[in-house]
Amino acid sequence: MTIDYSKLIVAEIMTKDVMSVGENTTIVDLLELFGKYHYHSYPVISQAGELVGIISEDIVLEILMFNQMPACGHTHLSVIRSCSDVAGGIMTTHPVTVSQDANLSETADLMLKHHVHRVYVVEQGKLVGILSKRDIVNEICKRRE
Amino acid sequence: MNILLQLLLILFLAKILAEIIERAGFPGILGEMAAGIFLGMLWINPDEDILSFFSLLGAIFLLFTAGYKEINLQELKASTKIALIPTLCGVIVPFSFGFLLGKAFNFEFMECLFMGVAFSPTSIGVSVRTLIDLDYLSKKIGSTMLSSAILDDIIGIFMFSVLISIATYHHIPTSMQLMVIGGKFVIFLIIMIILGWKIFPVLFTYIHKMHVKESIFAFVFMIAIFSAYLAEVFSLHAVIGAFIGGVCLSGIPLAKIEDVQNKVSGISYGIFVPIFFAYIGLSIDLSAIQGAGLFALLVIVMALSGKLIGGFIGTKIAGCDNKNSLIFGVGMMPRAGVELVFISVGRGLGIIGDEIFSAIVLMIVVSVIVSPALLKLVIEYKERSGSTSN
Repeated sequence: MTIDYSKLIVAEIMTKDVMSVGENTTIVDLLELFGKYHYHSYPVISQAGELVGIISEDIVLEILMFNQMPACGHTHLSVIRSCSDVAGGIMTTHPVTVSQDANLSETADLMLKHHVHRVYVVEQGKLVGILSKRDIVNEICKRRE
Repeated sequence: MNILLQLLLILFLAKILAEIIERAGFPGILGEMAAGIFLGMLWINPDEDILSFFSLLGAIFLLFTAGYKEINLQELKASTKIALIPTLCGVIVPFSFGFLLGKAFNFEFMECLFMGVAFSPTSIGVSVRTLIDLDYLSKKIGSTMLSSAILDDIIGIFMFSVLISIATYHHIPTSMQLMVIGGKFVIFLIIMIILGWKIFPVLFTYIHKMHVKESIFAFVFMIAIFSAYLAEVFSLHAVIGAFIGGVCLSGIPLAKIEDVQNKVSGISYGIFVPIFFAYIGLSIDLSAIQGAGLFALLVIVMALSGKLIGGFIGTKIAGCDNKNSLIFGVGMMPRAGVELVFISVGRGLGIIGDEIFSAIVLMIVVSVIVSPALLKLVIEYKERSGSTSN
């Protein structure tokens, strides 16, 4: 049976139970989270409950390796990040977001074309879920069975 | 020589020499400029139109990438609070030194103004390694330097845009003409703010759905070119428009997907920017430097001491002690990318001649070689003298 993915919306398969961190979470706590769980990134939530950024493995690695990097890798932004000790100071402030009712095939197309591994699902600025490539693959496998 | 072979040689030599220089502990742009000097001495004619065009693209994408990747408007607000006074002093003093030096050597008014503007920005990239090695980056004076570096580049770009507009009149403008210049700049800014705030974010929600390949990257590239062109329509220079265009895109998530950022960075730092720096090297008139002995020496001394004295006074006013103020002043002495864009544009528009151009290039080279060593000396001096404040 052929499944019509264009009728699926993001809310149907996104992960709703999301582990997030606050802007004041320390880098030590972040490292502990990365060591303890297998997640590749953590959304950063403001005190008002809004999604304000993400902390990815790349950022953490950049900070850990900062002193060993060649000088040409020291951009202004990376230097500023290396001086901060909380999530709010090192996060990427422009996460790619979609709404809950976004079309799944369009979202998957965005992720494939531009190598976006996961998108953040928001409603009125508040994080309601995450959709990763793994979620989509799992869902397709489940429906094929 | 065939243009393809010229491009190949320039890129190859620029990358190889930049790698050697980087590994020797100096900024790679010295290697890229050295590639241009070397090729200029051998056989390439620096007036080649195509090379000049690639060089312009290099300058445009150097500033566009700075705005697009490195500017964070929230962080800029915080920087303004921390570093405004040290930055203003660090701009005003070197500007005055540059202007007065030009006057002392009887250059025309526009050339004197240009020297002042070219003395103003900072590029503390080379200071960062020293600050890391001596564990000063995370101290208060280190973070003030970081904040100040971004602010004074923005002030420098603003001053440069005013200067370029004035230069189009070929004389000192009347008050009416100055109002026209200011009006054009404000209208350009308003258009870019509206585009960046309301139009571009909506545009990208459609662009990412396009079926054609690399749609987002292509539109980011187009916006760089568009903002550069629009700036020229308003009698500003293309590089200023590119910088503001980059800032307009810096907060749009779909325009800043990691993959797209990597492609923009790749085409800028992989191709256009090395050609720009090599073209600067090609354009250096070695005989002009030899002939400008005392002038070139004074350009170096005044530009470096201007930053040192301005930074020292500014941080003293802001409440730092003598030793930390000295560290700040020395840390702000290096110049690099933005200044090279300024003098390249100034020479292209005929505002400055070979003598000033070559002397300022020499000053930039000396500043990036000397500053890290001086910074290390003053930090070690402070540590030896047992100061505990940071």
